[in-house]
Amino acid sequence: MSTANRGIMSHSEWRSPTGRLIALFYLFVLTVVSILFVFPFIFSFTAGLKNSLDVIQPGTSLWPETPLWGNYLDAWTRFGMSRLFTNTFIAAGGGVVALLAVSSLAAYSLSRLKPIGKNIIRAILLITVAVPGVVFLVPEYAIMAKLGLLNNFWGLWIPYSVSAFYIIVLSNSFDQIPKDLYEAAQMDGASEFHMFLNITVPLSYSTFLVIGIFAFIGFWGDFLWPFLVMRDPALQTMSVRLYVQTREFSLNLFMAASFIAMVPPAIAAVFLQRYAPRGGLTF
Amino acid sequence: MTSTVTNLTKIEATPRWRIINWKDQGLAYLFLLPALAGFTLTVWYPLLSTILYSFQKVNLNGFQYWVGFNNYERMFGNPIFYTAWQNTLIYVLLSLVIGFMVPIMLALMINEMRGMSTFFQMMVYLPALIPIAVGLLVWKQIYSPSGGILNSLVGLVNIPPQSWLQDPLLAKPALVIVLTWLGSGGTTMLYLYALREIPTELFEAAELDGFSVLQRIRYIALPLLSYRIRIMLVLQIIFVTQIFAPPFIMTNGGPNNATMSPVMQIYDAAFVRTDFGLASAWGVSMLVALSAFSILSIVLTREEPKN
Repeated sequence: MSTANRGIMSHSEWRSPTGRLIALFYLFVLTVVSILFVFPFIFSFTAGLKNSLDVIQPGTSLWPETPLWGNYLDAWTRFGMSRLFTNTFIAAGGGVVALLAVSSLAAYSLSRLKPIGKNIIRAILLITVAVPGVVFLVPEYAIMAKLGLLNNFWGLWIPYSVSAFYIIVLSNSFDQIPKDLYEAAQMDGASEFHMFLNITVPLSYSTFLVIGIFAFIGFWGDFLWPFLVMRDPALQTMSVRLYVQTREFSLNLFMAASFIAMVPPAIAAVFLQRYAPRGGLTF
Repeated sequence: MTSTVTNLTKIEATPRWRIINWKDQGLAYLFLLPALAGFTLTVWYPLLSTILYSFQKVNLNGFQYWVGFNNYERMFGNPIFYTAWQNTLIYVLLSLVIGFMVPIMLALMINEMRGMSTFFQMMVYLPALIPIAVGLLVWKQIYSPSGGILNSLVGLVNIPPQSWLQDPLLAKPALVIVLTWLGSGGTTMLYLYALREIPTELFEAAELDGFSVLQRIRYIALPLLSYRIRIMLVLQIIFVTQIFAPPFIMTNGGPNNATMSPVMQIYDAAFVRTDFGLASAWGVSMLVALSAFSILSIVLTREEPKN
C-alpha cells in the first residue's frame, strides 16, 4: 500500500513548477466550469430579486439596484409553495418507501428463497432494465385511467415502486450477507419474514439509504409521468405546477419560485457527498 | 460425508416434482408477488399492449377495431417522422461532440484536486439534482431575447443578439448545451469513483519510469476507464434518443419542427389527439431504435472489467 492518497500526480510532483502550472490550469478550468454549472441558480436567485420590469430588460447586471426580498415571500404564497412541497414530498417519499419495500422483498426472494425459475425472472428483469418507459407510456396511462388512479398518488407510487435495476442491485447486495447469520436464526426457529426484517434489512441499511436518496431525487424532479397523471392542481408536484403556471405570474416571481424549488435538492447534494462513494451502485 | 451421499442418491431416486418444497416455493413467490404484480401492471402488460395497440384503433374508451398496418402507414406517410428521427440523430451527434468528453475531463481534474475535490464534486453534481422542468424553465429565460442574459454576454464580444431558441440552426445546439449541463454531473461522479479505484501504485511506478502526466492519463487512466466509457457512450445515446422535456418545455418542438423529437410525437398523438394507435406505432419505432442500441451495448461491453 502506498501511504499518501495521491492522484495521477504525486504530492512532490504537485509542488514542482510544472505541477503547479498544471494545478493552476486545472483549478482555472474547474472554477470556470463550476461557475457555468451554478450559473442558473445564481441567475434565478437574482432575477427573483428584481422588479417585474427590470427582469425583462437586457443587460449584464445580475444584481438589481434595490433587491426586492419580498418577492420570495410573494412567490411562496402565490405559487402555493407549501402545498407544492407537501405534494412533491408525498409523491417522492411514498415512491421511495414503495420502491424499497417491493424491491427488497423481491430481492430477498431471489437471493435467499430459491424460487423455481429464478434465472428466468432475473433474465426478464435484465431485459426490462433495457426497455425505457416511454415506449409503453400510452397503455400504461390507459391502465392507470381504467383503474381510476389518475389524480391519485397511487398512480405515481405504483409505477415508482417497480424497478428492475434496484431489484438486481439489492439482490446482489443481499448475496454478500454471510449465510451463517441466517443459519443461526433458523436454528432458533425464525421465519423467513422475521429473518428478512431482523437480519437483511438492518445489514442493508446503507444500501437502502443510497438507493433511497437517488430514487428520491429522481422522483422529486420527475416531470412527464406526474404531468400526465396529476391533472388536479391541488395534487400537482413542483415540476408540474411550475411548468403549468409559467405564464400566470410575472417573471420575477416565477424565477423566485424556481429558486426556492432548487434549494432542497441542493441540500440533498451535501448529504450525497457523505454517502454516495460507499454506495456500491456504480458498475 | 456418508449422509451427503445417501441424500444425493435419495434425490436422484425421487421424481423432480416430489422434491420441490411447495410451501417454500409459495413463500418465495409471496415475497416476489408485489414486484411481479407491479411489473405486470406497469411494464410487461403495457409493453405487450403497445405492440397490439399499434395495429388497432384505440382511444381513451379503449379498443375500437383492428386497422392492420394503417397506423404505421400514417406514421411513415407523415414527413414529421423523418424530421423527428433526423433531429434525434443530430441531437445524439451533437451531444457526443459537445458533451461526451466533458465528464471525463472533469473527473480527471477533480481527481487531482486535493482539499477542494469535494467542493468541485458538489458544484458539478448540483444540476443533476434539481427538478428538470425547473432547470429548463430557468435556461429558457437565460436564452430569452427579452431579459435573457446570454445576449447581453455575447454582446460584450460584439456578437449581435440572437434568438437562440427560435433560430432553426441554433436551437438544437442550445438544447444540447442544456442537456450537457443536466447530465454531466452524474457521469463525472461515475468516472471519478472509477479513477479512485485505480491502485495508485500504477501511477507511482509510471512516474518513476519517467512517464509524463499526459502519458499516465493516456496509457493508464483512460484504458482502465475504457469499460465505463463504452457503457456511458451507449447510455448517452439511449438517453438522448428519448429526449422529451427540453424541447417540450423550452421550444415546444419549434421553430418549424427543428427541435421535434419522437417522444414529443408520442405525447402529441396520445394526449393531444388521443390517437393511441398512432402513438403506439411511434412507441414501436422507439423500441426498434433502442433495441439496436442495446445490442450495440452488449457488443461494446462484452469484455468484463478487470477489478
